[in-house]
Amino acid sequence: MKDSLRRTLWISRVTFLEAVRQRFFAFLLVLSAAMVLSSVSLRVFDFGHGELKFIADFGFGGMFFFGSVLAVVMTAQLFFSEIDNKTALTLLAKPLSRPEFLLGKFFGAWAVLGVFVLVLASLQGVVLWAREQELVAAAEQAGRIPTTFSVVGLCQLVLLQWLRLGVVIAIVLAISSLARTFLFTVVVGSLAVVAGQLQWIAQDAFLRPTDSPVYAAFLWVSTRLIPNLQQFNLADALVLGSSVVEEGALISVGFSGLAYLVAYLTLGSLIFRRREI
Amino acid sequence: MRRFAPWLLVGVLILGAGALAESSWRRVRPSIPEIGRKELEPTLGQGVLLGVLGGLRTVVADIAWIRSYVFWERRDRPGCEALMRSACALDPHARYFWENTGLRIGLDMAHWEIRRRGGYAKVPAETQERLFRQYGRQGLDVLEEGMVYARSRTSLLLAAGFLAEGKLKDLRLAADYYRQAAESPDAPWYAARICADIDWGAGRKVEAYGWYRNYWETRLRSKQDGFPEDLIRLRIMETELRLGILQRIPRQVWER
Repeated sequence: MKDSLRRTLWISRVTFLEAVRQRFFAFLLVLSAAMVLSSVSLRVFDFGHGELKFIADFGFGGMFFFGSVLAVVMTAQLFFSEIDNKTALTLLAKPLSRPEFLLGKFFGAWAVLGVFVLVLASLQGVVLWAREQELVAAAEQAGRIPTTFSVVGLCQLVLLQWLRLGVVIAIVLAISSLARTFLFTVVVGSLAVVAGQLQWIAQDAFLRPTDSPVYAAFLWVSTRLIPNLQQFNLADALVLGSSVVEEGALISVGFSGLAYLVAYLTLGSLIFRRREI
Repeated sequence: MRRFAPWLLVGVLILGAGALAESSWRRVRPSIPEIGRKELEPTLGQGVLLGVLGGLRTVVADIAWIRSYVFWERRDRPGCEALMRSACALDPHARYFWENTGLRIGLDMAHWEIRRRGGYAKVPAETQERLFRQYGRQGLDVLEEGMVYARSRTSLLLAAGFLAEGKLKDLRLAADYYRQAAESPDAPWYAARICADIDWGAGRKVEAYGWYRNYWETRLRSKQDGFPEDLIRLRIMETELRLGILQRIPRQVWER
C-alpha cells in the first residue's frame, strides 16, 4: 500500500512538473490573470449590477472558462504524450500498475489546476478588496450601505472550483482511457463539460412531475450519469452574499463532487486496464 | 460473475454519486439565480447559453443589453425584445434590466408598430389606442415578472404605475402600484402623492384622502420638515370633501 502510494506520488510529481513547464499552461494563466485585472477597467460597460458583482463575475468567469479548457486539453495532452512517446510502455513495464499510473496523472493534473485556481483567486481577491475599499469610502460619504465581499466565501469557492475541475479531469481521464486519439478526447471531454454545465436543466425537469415514464427514465439516467457542474457555481452567493446558502449544502456539494471523482477514476482505471498500448 | 463485479461497482458508484448530486442540487438551487428552461428557450441563439455555461452571466447580460440598443435604433421589435429578455434571464436580480425592458416595450414599441403600419395619420385612432394598450400590457407583464426576481421592487412598481396610468388608462391599477411603491421601505417622496392624486382622480375621493392622511401621519409627519407640500395637498382634499374642523388633521405648530 505504501509502495503503491509512493509510486502514484512519483507519477504525480513528474506529471505536475511536466504540466507546469508547458507553454499552454503559462499562456492560459497569463490570459486569465489579464482577464481578472482588466475587469476593473471594463466595469464602465456594466449596467444595473453592483460593481463588485461585475468584477467578481468577470474574474470567476475567466477562472471557469480557462480552467475548463486547461482541465480538458492539458489532461488529454499529458495522457497521450505518454502513450504517443511510448514512455507509458516503459513506465508500465516497471512495477507500476495501470490504476497507479492513471491516479498519478490525475493528482498531477489536479495539483496544476490547484495552482491555477489559487493564483487567480488570490488576484481576484486583491482586485475585489481594492475596489471594495474605494466603494466603502464612497458609500460612507453618501450615507449608503457599502457593498462588500467575503474572504471566507472566496476560499470556499476556490475549493469548490478546484473540486469541479477535479471532476472534469476524472471524466477526461476516463475518456482518454477509452479513446485512441488526443483530438477525440478533447472534443468528447469538452462536450462532457458542456453537458455537465447544462445537466441542471434535466435535473430541474426531473424534479417536476411528468406523465411519460420513458421521459422520466431518460431524465433519471442522464441526471445520474452526467455530473451536475452547475452546482459548483456559487460565486454570487458565497463571495458577494447575494443569497444565503443552506447550512451543510456546501459539504453536500463537496461529497457529491468527490463521489463523481472516485466513480469516474474507477471507471477510467477499469477501462485502462483492458487497453492495448 | 466476478468479471462483472468491478463494472457493477462503477455503476453503483455513479448512481450513488448521482443520488448525492440530486440531494445537493436541491439544497443549493435556491442560491443560484433563477434561470430555468422556460426562460432559456425563447433566448436561444442570443448568447444566453454561453452565459449560463461559462459563469460569465453578468458580462454576457451586459453585452446582450448593449446589442439590444442596436435593434432599438433600428426599431426592430423582435430583435430588441429577445436581447432585452436575454439580459433579464441572465441576471434576474438586476432591477435595471427589468425596468428598462418593461418601459421600452410599454412606451416605444406601440409607436414602432404604428409607424410600420403607415404612420399616425394612416392608422385609425382606435387601432392606435388598442396598440398602446396591448404593448402597455406586455410591458406591465415584464415588470410584474421582474418584481418576483429583482431585489428592489420599488422602481419597478413606479414604472408599472406609470404604464398603467399612461398606456392602459387604468387609474385603479395605477393607484394600486403607486400605493405598493409608497409603502415599500425605500419609497421615494412622490409615490404617495401620485397614488393619492390618481385615486382621487378615479373618483375614490374618500378612500384617497383616508389613505393619504394615514400615510402622512405615520410616515411623513415625523420626518425633518414634516413634508408641508403633502399637508397642503391634504388640506385641499379636506376642503373639497367639506370636512368639519374635528374631522380634519389637527393644525401643526409650523403651519401658517
